[in-house]
Amino acid sequence: MIAYAANLATIVAIFAILAATLNFIVGYAGIFSVAHAVFFGLGAYAGAQVALLLIPDPLLACLAGAVVAGGLSLCLALPALRVRGEYFVAASMGLQMMAVTLFSEAKPLTGGIGGLVNIPRPTLFGVEVSVLPLALVALALILLATALLQRGAFGRTLQALRDAESAAEALGKNVAAAKTLAMAFACAGAGIGGALFALHLSFVNVESFTMDQSVLVMAMVIIGGTGTLWGPLVGAIILLSLPSGLAFIPFIPPTEVGAVQQIVYGLAMTLLMIFRPAGLVGDLSKGRATA
Amino acid sequence: MSGPQIARRALLGTALAAPFAHPSLAQATDPYVIGTLFPMSGPNAEYGTLFTNGAALAIEHARADNMLRRPMRIQAEDTQALPQQGVIGMTKLVNVDKAHYVLVGFTAVSKAVAPVADRAKTIAVNGGAVGPDLSGLSPYFWNVIPLAHLETQAFIPFLMGRNLKRIALVYVDDPLGDAILGLLRTELPKAGGELVGSFSVPRTAQQFGPVAARVRQSRPDAVYIASFGAQQAQIIKGMRDNGIRVPLVGYSALSIPTVTAMPEAEGVIFTSQKFDYTGGSEVTRRFATDFKAKYGSDPGTYNANYYNAVRLFALLAKELEAEGAEVNGENLRRTLLRVREFDLVGGKATFDDKGDMSAEIQVNEIRGGRVVPIA
Repeated sequence: MIAYAANLATIVAIFAILAATLNFIVGYAGIFSVAHAVFFGLGAYAGAQVALLLIPDPLLACLAGAVVAGGLSLCLALPALRVRGEYFVAASMGLQMMAVTLFSEAKPLTGGIGGLVNIPRPTLFGVEVSVLPLALVALALILLATALLQRGAFGRTLQALRDAESAAEALGKNVAAAKTLAMAFACAGAGIGGALFALHLSFVNVESFTMDQSVLVMAMVIIGGTGTLWGPLVGAIILLSLPSGLAFIPFIPPTEVGAVQQIVYGLAMTLLMIFRPAGLVGDLSKGRATA
Repeated sequence: MSGPQIARRALLGTALAAPFAHPSLAQATDPYVIGTLFPMSGPNAEYGTLFTNGAALAIEHARADNMLRRPMRIQAEDTQALPQQGVIGMTKLVNVDKAHYVLVGFTAVSKAVAPVADRAKTIAVNGGAVGPDLSGLSPYFWNVIPLAHLETQAFIPFLMGRNLKRIALVYVDDPLGDAILGLLRTELPKAGGELVGSFSVPRTAQQFGPVAARVRQSRPDAVYIASFGAQQAQIIKGMRDNGIRVPLVGYSALSIPTVTAMPEAEGVIFTSQKFDYTGGSEVTRRFATDFKAKYGSDPGTYNANYYNAVRLFALLAKELEAEGAEVNGENLRRTLLRVREFDLVGGKATFDDKGDMSAEIQVNEIRGGRVVPIA
């Protein structure tokens, strides 16, 4: 049971990293990206290649994941500088679809649809280590950085851009630099999550980095509470532990287990959004229809 | 020390020891847990039901035959055919449910759970995915289905005999598709045939009009489809709707009801493991008869494969019970490598050192919505 709980906690921590970093651009900067799984994937492939070709050092893998994903965040930053709102959602969807095709075709780097197998277990100073403490530390550092950035001038600039971009620009804020930096921070964080994911599963393929995964991470942010520090963490815990908890219901026939779980899961999400429209951690006064 | 104090401590001690005493008592009577890691929801849920039906019938037969001293039960986990869900499910099966044997399907899920099976020394058996890259993932990962390249190899002489010498291949660019492409490229010329065109399609593609146009230009005698799941039905429809009238051929993934029930699939020819349900072995005939009685339809390849996976466990566990040995991954593997040949649905099946099964291959044709063996 402890091993199962530890495995689930590791996956929750990794997805909390993803949700927290997505929340940074969605909740604070108002950039609605549905391509976060792309940067998760870039980090995963980079981390996996470091472990396969060099050494399975988790710190090096995370560094590689952060550099590759953060560096390529310009792919998302460029459209973000030109379009906003639903137009940016469409642009990020295009990036997501393009990236899935590239992940499937770039076989020397990604293994294609077959993926990368036999990724060695992470070792630090020659000792095999679990991914859980590493993921928890990474999550804590990302939440701390988010809190510090949010309270500083950079966070206020982002929130100004989110609420009134033209007004912020008129007041002399450097919109392009702020958006690019926010994107680089969020994508680098997603890359770290990806590297940890690759080391934890010992296998990665494109099916973990599809649009569905991006939507799942977005759902974690919204259900937890957009623009809150702890909301994405709560969202990740709820969305990942609820199906796992439903797996313990003993009386469901084997052929119906998936359908029953999905119905209960969907119903719970719908009720949650009806009664807590601003998310579990969000401001109760926000999100309700007023008409 | 007074009497009541001793009694209280004894009670406390007993209570604390109870959880540890329980498992040893339970081991003699509790069922063998057969974990399943199948997609039970989402677009691939059809496969999960097919796989589970075969496994469930094997458990019923083992119980009816009193093969084992302990019953078997299925513990199902829904993977949605996703590797991440597969690992969560596998970890639960191994650590919480203490599964003795785990059935898996789908390539990505198989690859993701193989390291967990390896670390836990728990046998995981694939009966659905046929990519050659599934061979040798772990000593504890077995394939109870002939892998695709073996099917294709056996198919080429049949195609030549039917004078279907110019083959066009429509394939998903994954290890399975690559393996079939490589095999057709090298083996067709040796047999007197020719690969006249190979057309890669994305796994998520749903429209095949442009591909059909290119296939037509290559003037093939037959079109080989190397895809899986619902996409196969879309490829077949896309080919027929766009004027491709030559035979459509493929491998065992075409045996799903989504394909066989569609009018456009009439005449589709594909290979599968050999199952002679009328004149085959007693195990084969019994499986076919009871499957039809229980589920109201003829069994398909996947039903048989997962029946075989569970029957294999029952045969191995029976040997171990006779030895008085514990039924665990190490002993199951030891017994598999000792016995090697098993009487399964379809006839005798042989396992190699990697745990890969080889069996006879047959050629089928879809006629009137049914799968009819033709060679």
